Formats: sequence, structure tokens, C-alpha cells
Amino acid sequence: MIAKKTWREIRVMVLVYMLILELLAIPVILLWPDIYADLQRSTLLRNMGIDWLKRIGEGVGNRDSDIAFINWAAVMLFFRSTNLVGLAAAVLVGTGLFARERESQTFEFLLARPVSRGSILWQKFWPCALGVTVPIFLVNASAIFWSHCIDYDLPRWELFLASLHAAVYVLCFLAFTTWISVLSRVQAHVAFWVGGFTIVQIGIYLTQRIRQWSLFRLADFEWYGPIMTGNTPRWEMFDPIRGHGFTTYLLLATLLFYGLAWRALHRAEL
Amino acid sequence: MNTIAITGLQKAFGPRHVLRGIDLQVPRGELLGLVGPNGAGKSTLLRTLVGLVTRDAGEVAVLGRDPNDHALSIRRDSCYLPGETGVYQQMTGKAFLDFALGFYPRRQQGLYDRLLAGFELPLAQKVRSYSAGMKQKLALIASLVPDVDLYLLDEPDRALDASVRFFLRSVLLDLKAQGKTIVLSSHHLSEVETLADRLEFLLDGAFVAQERLAAARTRLRSHTRVRLAADVALPSGATVLAREPDGTLVLLTDRDPLLWLRDLPPDAVQSAEVGIARLEDLYQLLLDPTTNQRGGHS
Repeated sequence: MIAKKTWREIRVMVLVYMLILELLAIPVILLWPDIYADLQRSTLLRNMGIDWLKRIGEGVGNRDSDIAFINWAAVMLFFRSTNLVGLAAAVLVGTGLFARERESQTFEFLLARPVSRGSILWQKFWPCALGVTVPIFLVNASAIFWSHCIDYDLPRWELFLASLHAAVYVLCFLAFTTWISVLSRVQAHVAFWVGGFTIVQIGIYLTQRIRQWSLFRLADFEWYGPIMTGNTPRWEMFDPIRGHGFTTYLLLATLLFYGLAWRALHRAEL
Repeated sequence: MNTIAITGLQKAFGPRHVLRGIDLQVPRGELLGLVGPNGAGKSTLLRTLVGLVTRDAGEVAVLGRDPNDHALSIRRDSCYLPGETGVYQQMTGKAFLDFALGFYPRRQQGLYDRLLAGFELPLAQKVRSYSAGMKQKLALIASLVPDVDLYLLDEPDRALDASVRFFLRSVLLDLKAQGKTIVLSSHHLSEVETLADRLEFLLDGAFVAQERLAAARTRLRSHTRVRLAADVALPSGATVLAREPDGTLVLLTDRDPLLWLRDLPPDAVQSAEVGIARLEDLYQLLLDPTTNQRGGHS
């Protein structure tokens, strides 16, 4: 019941989100042959004084055009699209989940129904979770088709792994936003806190010596590039003991934020 | 068997004590009227009964269950209409009702049809186009139609006009006749009075003792509200207790008010009320520190 209502509320947003991801993906893939030719002529990126931009330049300017294309996909499909649009979608969808109920005075009405608070949270969360993660897989799967149009290929398994990491990353932001939404009485406050947090993270990422402390470090080219080119073994993503296990850590963080949202909702008084 | 049994209920929000040792028994099939000024604790009391607010102290049993431990089960067998009910603006009236009623296993189809016919709501339209009264009607349908044992209605007549309030009164009496227990809070004392089996007056988190309430109401009934014509001086035999902004005088007459009114010259009186205890007057009288003795009772 609540899940159906939640889906009705977000379905247009999800559709637009998927459309934006797709519209961002198509030109960067179809224009790749020309872009690659331009990159071969230019040494600007490869000579950048900023390390991470230099590495992107080296990746997408690789002499092997197939590898360069995969790196290009890692930058454009994940580092750019998922980070920008995926996070924005997670924040937009999550912001109103509970704060809007409070704003429109339906919070008490909802809590007074014969349904547990845990169930309310779950039925509101999972449609949003699917809404922000499924488009990542679908759009990236469509990238395989667009790649064939320019006679290039994207590695399917690696693309799936990168999509999986991107989905978990976006899911983590959704859970964080949901937690803040439970705590807030006004949607604008949720946007302020989550937006502020994100901007600080971007600021840290762009500051050379402290960028390793930014959450965006877990979703940049240096992360997606090795996954897409097959240089990051599966276990390294998920195993915190033998590998760095950052995908697992993101999943755990998602569970933590969900748990905090659950606790806040159970403690919420009217 | 009591549908509601409360002993020594206390609740505070930080330093503010909202409920101060409430004792209350509501037998099955009773219609209890709960009146009191804003902030008296009416809504907190109703929320406590359905487990939306956890109490600090005291014993509470609703339908034989403790709301702190069995809130979900209580909410399955009862229906609570919040005082400031928002309805989902983006839904149509029909979609809202389907959503709200879908949580309950049984509904009273006859009552549903009767309320739809009586309220004449444009169910196909989005709720955002509804007036405040129409939204309240929608919330009322959502709260009265589930087939449950207990209805807790926080100001159900809010934003409703007189004819709809009259219709609602007949619906509530029919529910009572079916053996349903109803607790309703309201600001319309006269309407609650005619409807309820019993009236409880909540003041600053505690019930006013029935004897004190009865005395205050008797005193108020002796007051007469008169609006005299512009050029008419106050005739003898009456003392002015208060003067309202619209020129209405609250009087205490030295004999039966009706006899006093009868002796006035023709056309001297524009309007008069005798024997009607207004809620705001009752508040004033009960809040008067010289008569302020509070305490819980059952």
C-alpha cells in the first residue's frame, strides 16, 4: 500500500532521471571516435599538473583505442553521470520521504494506520532504492548497444561490476538522505544538510592533499577505471580482508544509515 | 468491560507536563466527550491511547491491551482521526480513501455509501482542489468507515458547517447504537453535550472534577447574553459581568432571565441567549485562579 503510493510519487522523477542518464550517455559514446582523435592530437590532459586529471588524460588517451574507450566510459558513465545525476536523484527522492509527510501534516495520519513504523520505512525505502539503482544498470546496459554502433565494445561483466558499485554508492546516499528526512520537519532542511555535506565532500575531493578523505574518492576514475579495464578483481571490491572491500563498506554504511533512520522513526514523537 | 482504562497517566515533553495523573474509565459502547482549551492535553491523551506517544507513568489499557506494547494491535481494532489531519494533496479523493481504508481488513460498506452521499465529495478530483471542509470530510470517511471497536476522533467537526455537523452527529449516534465506543474531543461544547453520554473537561493536563464542572455550568446558565438596540440604556435588575467587542453584554439578572427579558420594552433587544453555557465562558470561569482546584478522577 505505502510502497505503491511511494512509487506513484517518484515514478516521474525516476523516468526523468533515467532519461537524463541516457541522454548523457548517448553523445559521449557516439562521438567517441572524433573525441579520441582529438585526444591523440592534444597533450593538454596528459601534462596537467593535477595528478588525478593527468591520470584521466593518460587513461582516455591510451594508444590502444579499445582500452581508451573503456576508460572513457568509466569517466563519462560513472565518474560524471552517476556521481552527478545519481546522487542528485538519490537526494531528491529521499528528501521528501518523511519531511514532506511532516510538512503536509500527513505524518500523524500515516503513523496512526495499523502498520508498524519499521514497515512504513521499508515500504517507502525500497521503491526509492529500486528507482535510483535500476536505471544505472539499464542505462549502462544500453551503453553496450550504443558502443556497437561505433564498432567498439564494452566488457559486460566489468560494466556490471562497476554498475553494482555505482548503485551501492547511490544507495548509500539515499539511505543517508532518508535518515536526515526522518529527523527533519521541513524538506528544505534535508536539502540543506545533505546538499551541504555533498558540497563539502566535493570541496575535499578537489583539494589535492586531502582528497583521499573524500567520499567521492570511492567513485572517481581511479576507482571505476581499474574495475572497467578488469584490473580490480571481484574479491578486492567486496572483501575487506584480502582487498580494500570498499563496496562492502558502502553497503555496510547503507545499512547503518537505514538503521539510524529506523531508530529515529521509532523514537519520533508528534 | 471497559474499552479504555487509565490510571495515573502522566506525560511530559521536556519540562512541560502535558498530562498530570489522568484517571479515566470508558465502558464499551459509551460516547465520551472530551472538551478543553487548546494545549489542555486532549490530543496527547488520544495519541497515547493508540501508542503514538509513549507515557511517562501510569497504567493504560485500550481494548484490554497496553498501547506501549501492543500499539499495532490496538490500531488494528481502533481508528484514530488526528486533530490536524493532512490529506495527500497529489491524490484524488477516491485514491486517498482507497489508500486509507486499505489498511483495515473490514469496512462498513453501508456507512461508506451513506457518508459519500451525505458529504457529496468530488472524489475524482485531486485533493489539492478541495476546501478545508472537504478535506475534513475525506478524513472523516477514512476514520469512520473501518469496522473497528473504538473510534478516537480529535475535533471531528473542525471546518465543518452546521448542517454537516448535524449529519455527523447522526452518524456517530448510529455507530454508538451498534455498540462502538467513541471518544471525541471538540471545541463545540453544546454539540458534544447533546451527543455524548458523558463529558470530561480537560484543563492543564488534568480532568476537572465533575462537581466543579457542574457548579461552573450552573453558574454560567444563569448568565444572559443580550445585545441591546443602539439607543437603549441597560434596564434595571441586571448587573453587567462582561462587555464583548460586538456590544453584547453578559448579564446576571436579579430574577429569572426570561422574566427580565419579557419586561423589556419592545424592540429594545436585538438578540438574546439564555441558559447556554459557552465553552469560552466555561474556560474563563475554570481558569479563574480564585476557583482553580484541579485533580484527576475516574
